[in-house]
Amino acid sequence: MSWIRLAAASLLLGGCATSSLVLLPDDEGHQGSVAVLEAGGKPTESVIAEGNSRTKLGTVSAAPQPLGAKGLKAQEAALLSNLPPPAKSFILYFDEGTVTPTPASQAVLAELRAEIASRSGPQVEVTGHTDTVGSEEDNDRLSLQRAEEVLGWLASQGFDRSLMSATGRGERELKEPTVDNFSSAANRRVEVIVR
Amino acid sequence: MVRLPLGLGLIALLIAAPAYAEIARIKQSSGVAYVERNAQQLKPVPGLQLLTGDKLVTGKDGRMSLSFVDNTRFAVGPNSRISVNEFQYDRTRQKGSFVTQVDRGSLAVVSGRIAKSDRDAMKVRTPNTLLGVRGTKFIVEVPE
Repeated sequence: MSWIRLAAASLLLGGCATSSLVLLPDDEGHQGSVAVLEAGGKPTESVIAEGNSRTKLGTVSAAPQPLGAKGLKAQEAALLSNLPPPAKSFILYFDEGTVTPTPASQAVLAELRAEIASRSGPQVEVTGHTDTVGSEEDNDRLSLQRAEEVLGWLASQGFDRSLMSATGRGERELKEPTVDNFSSAANRRVEVIVR
Repeated sequence: MVRLPLGLGLIALLIAAPAYAEIARIKQSSGVAYVERNAQQLKPVPGLQLLTGDKLVTGKDGRMSLSFVDNTRFAVGPNSRISVNEFQYDRTRQKGSFVTQVDRGSLAVVSGRIAKSDRDAMKVRTPNTLLGVRGTKFIVEVPE
C-alpha cells in the first residue's frame, strides 16, 4: 500500500515539476515579466524577465533557460499562431453640437466596417465624447447620441446589435485639455474599439 | 423625494449590468472543445460571450481562442482545462483583477489593460505555482 502511495506521490510531483513558462516579447517588441508569487505552496519573490526563455515551474528559485537555436516547440508555435488579432481603435470626429461625423470621418466609417467584417466573433465598443461647450448634462446626452449614431449606422450595415455597445462619457475625457465652454474639434469624437 | 434619485440610480445600474457581465468572446475554435458553465457544456461558437467562472475545456485535437474586454487575448491548446476564476474590470478607470487557473494543457496569453493597471492585478494559477503577470506575452504549459 505505502509503495503504491509513494509511487503515486512521486508520479504526481514529477508531473507538476514539468509545468513550464515560456516568456516572449510582446508584439511591439517590449519585454514584460512574470513574477512567481508562490511555488509548491510557498511564497517566493522570483521574477522571470528574460525574453525568449523557458522556465520550469514549481521550484522556489526560478531558473529561466534561453530558448536558443531550437526556439519554440511546434505545438507552442501553433498555439501562438492561434491567438486572436489585437484590438484595433478608430476615432471619428463630429461637427459642433451635432451627431454628424465630419467628411473626413465618413471614410473612417468605411474602414471600421471593413475591420469588423474581417473578424471572427467581433466585439465593438463605441464611446462618445464632447468638447466643453454647453452643460455637463447636455454633453452626457450628446456624447451618448454620437455613440448611438455610430452604432446605429453599423447596425444599418448589417452588424448585429448584440456585437456592439454604446456609452457616452460627456466632457469627462478630453483628448485636448481645455477650459470650460471651449469649442474643440479634437474633443468632439467617438472612439471605437474592435476586438 | 430623497428616494427618487436613489431609485433611478438602481434602474441605471440594472440596465448597465448585462454589458458588464460579459468578460470575453470566443473568436475561434476547432476540434473537441467546449465551455463549461455550471453543469452545462456550451459549444464555443465565434461570438459566444463568456462569464466569470467559465471553464475552457479541449480534447486532444481541440483549440479555442478568445479576446477579453480589457484586450487580453488567450489561445487554448489541446488537452486543456482552464478556468477564469475571477475577472473584474472597470472600463472607465481601466483597472481590475483577473485570475486564471490552468489545471492542465497549454495557454498562450497576451496580457491587456488589467495587467497594466496594478502590479499583479493579473494572476495565473497552475497546480504548483501562482504567477503575477506584469504586462507581457507568454505560454503556460501544464502536462497531465
